[in-house]
Amino acid sequence: MAEKETLEKLTGLGKTMVEQVDKGKSPTFEASLRSKGNIEFDKSVGFLRLGDKKEERTFLNVSQARTFMQTVAVANKAKKFLAEDLHTSIRGLYYQLKFSLGEDIDESLFEEQSESNALVEDLEVALSVKREDLHLTTDRKGVVAGNMIVKDNFAGEQTEIDCAQQGRSGWMIPSDVDNGMEFVDIKAKYVLVVEKDALWQRLNEDRFWKKDNCILITPKGQASRGTRRLIRRLADKGLPVYVFTDCDAWGWYIYWTIKTGSMNLAYLGRDFSIPEAKFLGVTMSDIEKFPFLKKLTIKAKEIDIKRAEEMISYPWINMHPEWVSELNKVLKTGQKIEQDALQGERLTFVGEYIRQKIKNKEWLP
Amino acid sequence: MDHDIFGEFREYSVAEFFKKNRQMLGFSGKVRSLTTIVHEYATNSLDACDEARILPEIEVWVAEEGEERYRVKVRDNGPGIPEKLLASALATMLSGTKFNRYVQQRGQQGIGATGCTMYALITTGQPVKVVSKHKGTAIKCSLGIDFKQNRPIVSDLIKEDCSPDDHGLEVEGTFADVKYEKSGYGVGEYLKRTAIANPHATIIFNSPEGERFTYPRSIDAIPRKAREVQPHPLGIGPNDLLDLTKGKYESTKLSSFLQNEFTRVSLNKVKELQELVPEVDFNMKPSELTWEQAEKLVAAFKKVKWIAPETDSVVPISTSQIEKSLRNILNPEIVYVTERPPKIYRGGIPFVVEVGIAYGGDVNKDKEGKPASGGVVMRFANRAPLLFDAGGCAITQTVKDIDWKRYELRNFDDEPVALLVHVVSVHVPYTSAGKQSISAEDDLVDEIRNAVMEAGRQVQRHLSGKRKEKEKVSKKAAILRYVNQISGDLSELADEVKKKEKLRANLEKMVQERFE
Repeated sequence: MAEKETLEKLTGLGKTMVEQVDKGKSPTFEASLRSKGNIEFDKSVGFLRLGDKKEERTFLNVSQARTFMQTVAVANKAKKFLAEDLHTSIRGLYYQLKFSLGEDIDESLFEEQSESNALVEDLEVALSVKREDLHLTTDRKGVVAGNMIVKDNFAGEQTEIDCAQQGRSGWMIPSDVDNGMEFVDIKAKYVLVVEKDALWQRLNEDRFWKKDNCILITPKGQASRGTRRLIRRLADKGLPVYVFTDCDAWGWYIYWTIKTGSMNLAYLGRDFSIPEAKFLGVTMSDIEKFPFLKKLTIKAKEIDIKRAEEMISYPWINMHPEWVSELNKVLKTGQKIEQDALQGERLTFVGEYIRQKIKNKEWLP
Repeated sequence: MDHDIFGEFREYSVAEFFKKNRQMLGFSGKVRSLTTIVHEYATNSLDACDEARILPEIEVWVAEEGEERYRVKVRDNGPGIPEKLLASALATMLSGTKFNRYVQQRGQQGIGATGCTMYALITTGQPVKVVSKHKGTAIKCSLGIDFKQNRPIVSDLIKEDCSPDDHGLEVEGTFADVKYEKSGYGVGEYLKRTAIANPHATIIFNSPEGERFTYPRSIDAIPRKAREVQPHPLGIGPNDLLDLTKGKYESTKLSSFLQNEFTRVSLNKVKELQELVPEVDFNMKPSELTWEQAEKLVAAFKKVKWIAPETDSVVPISTSQIEKSLRNILNPEIVYVTERPPKIYRGGIPFVVEVGIAYGGDVNKDKEGKPASGGVVMRFANRAPLLFDAGGCAITQTVKDIDWKRYELRNFDDEPVALLVHVVSVHVPYTSAGKQSISAEDDLVDEIRNAVMEAGRQVQRHLSGKRKEKEKVSKKAAILRYVNQISGDLSELADEVKKKEKLRANLEKMVQERFE
């Protein structure tokens, strides 16, 4: 989103409230309800999003007055960040706003950082912007390598980054890949997301991304907002997205969060989900094709079983019989397989496995 | 070893029995004994005044005479007692006008004043001194008891004429093994509560420390006379039934005795009873009734469907009078008194529960206005305060079981609250002859609970109103302190920095209006 548009939205919010006060009304704003009851899976688009339930926040209400004042303060602060072209974390924001409300008032604008989290979400929903648009950064996590050049306008400088020239470390995905970031050239043909950093390093050493002309990404576990946005933007360029995780509930959950979005961030909708993503493996069915894996399974933990049971209850997962069958295999055998197990025979087998899967279209939806 | 174990067997008189079992009359513990003495005399005075339709004026003196030895004098303006009844009223056990009458009274068993005489004799050997002014004759005498014969011993009798307008009774005795205490069990508290329950009486107390407490009457109306009523079949046991047959019914049959002496017993009901106990001959003389037959009859009573007894035999203090006396004596912030219709327990005994609640103000505070105690439960039965045996009393238990948090009283024991619970009945079911605690009859407990909860709700209404008022103010303050900050942020956010003061003024005005 263009920064100008975000600025206009913030100013607009202020103007609406000022008009309300001029008319003798309590300043209010409306935001979609983010509770579980208002989260729905939209089958036609394939991701989780908020329903129609709205909630009005108002200043002249004892239970809302404080958070309302805080929300306006955050909006005003964000507007200043945008104007100054400076970024900070939510913690930085918290320190910027942690001051006393007045000499005779024994109360601070913010007492705890946790207070600011919910109202940043309120603002995101009310204005249809992302926190990154408000110049609020999140922790970076995720590394990329591949035939892709991006241009980064940052801190008054312009840098071109060639993701094929990042050596053994790769390029670390920033928290915001939208504002000030452009794709200059993408030669790669698809995106491969690998759950674990160890496997990413394996494939990077194999120069897998070069040989197979793909963009190799590891979210290092659960994908960060920046990583999800990058994958989304690459998918928008028409690149197929394949995901490769452990064969356990946690790995699969990482896949489903990338694909449909999560309950927590359902308010972000399409921007943070990639419904077209496909799941390459590892699957329980792989044991049948690659007998050496049989000896390399490990016992599933209680949390794996619990998560598998939970996932089988989600309508957006149990609508796929392939997944129900995979999850049931975990529940039945009580076993799981790690990505790393593919290196059991030969280290370079990992690449072969991926090639074979893509070639034979052996993926799960 | 061959000696006759019955060699020393002899009959004990009632007086001897009570001499050996004085705790049954309330003479257990030194503080309690002193309060019991004052209680017995004061109750008699109040009952006598009410009976004679006189507004009572009772003055009590307690003076220390030595180690755990006190002189107690009680003087009233009642009708006095005629010469021929004087000795038996004050020195014969189980005598008097109250015994065996089915009417609501403070005293019931007719052992009270005689018990005091007895107590004086066994602790100091001194008879009690009495002055009775009755219908123009003043009698002064000393009264003792012949324990073996249960007979009064009268000495130093002086008889004089006096004005018929000058009437009343004065009793003075010296007692040992008693102790005066300024506590919730002491004479002072007892008389204060007596005054609360008898707003038509003026009560004066002269304490051993030389203080004089006066509780002037709050109203000038003598309570309506409680009507003497016939017992209801469900209100009696075999023993009561046999007592009722004593003496008077030589010429009648059992069937007509039942119809004449009980309320709600008709010819049809007698027939029903006959069918239930065919083995009892309803043509027999009532006086020939045996214990077994009486037991069977009482069991049969319980199987028949009776119309409930009339309830006008109970006379409550009344809502407005309790309210007046609580205000007068406790000076609280608020008072609420329930007004509830009479109820029946055991199917046959009418009763009324009155509950008054006094909150805040001077309640439970000492003379300097500092909190002296937490929540207090004042128990009363037929206008007499119950100070002792609280633990076993149905009132205490019921009050304890109530969840006071529901009534905005966080912890009853810590609140400036005084709860008056008054049980009125022709037959109050005391747990013992000491008459200090009421037994937990189901119907009674239910009614006490409902009445206390009704009073509690009124306090709650008052307190929650107060709390809401306070909250309103604090709500206003809570929002007002955010106005400055939000005005600044809003004006900047909307690119209208100059509007800050106007925004602030408008918002302040809105908050003031909203939370007025």
